[in-house]
Amino acid sequence: MALRAAVLRHLRVPIQTAPWRGGASLRSMSSHDDHITKDEVIDRVLSVVRDFPKVDPSKVTPDVHFQKDLGLDSLDNVEIVMALEEEFKLEIPDKEADKIDSTHLAIEYISNHPMAS
Amino acid sequence: MSLTTYLTRRAAQKERVRILYRRALKDTLNWAVHRHLFYDDASILRDRFEKNKHVEDVDTIDQLIADGEASYNKWRHPDPYIVPWAPGGSKFNRNPTPPQGSYTRMVIGKGIIHFERVKHKGGVGIPLILEGCL
Repeated sequence: MALRAAVLRHLRVPIQTAPWRGGASLRSMSSHDDHITKDEVIDRVLSVVRDFPKVDPSKVTPDVHFQKDLGLDSLDNVEIVMALEEEFKLEIPDKEADKIDSTHLAIEYISNHPMAS
Repeated sequence: MSLTTYLTRRAAQKERVRILYRRALKDTLNWAVHRHLFYDDASILRDRFEKNKHVEDVDTIDQLIADGEASYNKWRHPDPYIVPWAPGGSKFNRNPTPPQGSYTRMVIGKGIIHFERVKHKGGVGIPLILEGCL
């Protein structure tokens, strides 16, 4: 180890400076860097809710309660949350998923989730 | 039974039903080999829940939920789908953060490169740092 360090310390290698590619593109092939913006989350959450068969698409806004405003029941709520999980490739624990009852909460939860994509 | 007791019990039952429905629906997706088969199975599952929608008696409801949970446990999929990054998923811990501690730093000066060990206390361990290449 000491020998290696000594050799390395005296090593001289001529270099050519490669053009710097910038931090964002360094891990361009990594699956963990596809962060999504809040606007994108809002768009996709609303489109999932609009596509739900029992929902009137014109009523869907970023701040709408599934049961009070859209006239759904609790089982429809479960189905919407599951559709959102599939849309964003998430796995939400049952207790937390149970609390998501409005588009506002869904957007908050998903945009703060590190693995949402 | 007082009204408060009744209401808490009903609230607990409603939560149990929601979570049971959620798990059962996910399991339906696990069993279905195609999406179009899932839609039929999901609607059958939904009908099984809707059938007992208007039951009023609290004890009967408890019994129905217990039956439902038993049925769910009996038919639970042995190898369910797990999202890749979640525990048990195919990508779980695939790129763990590097261990903290000392690391080797590659210093690129004017025409030379050398490596040096750097003691690092706390923070995120960075295995290799390129310095001075601009």
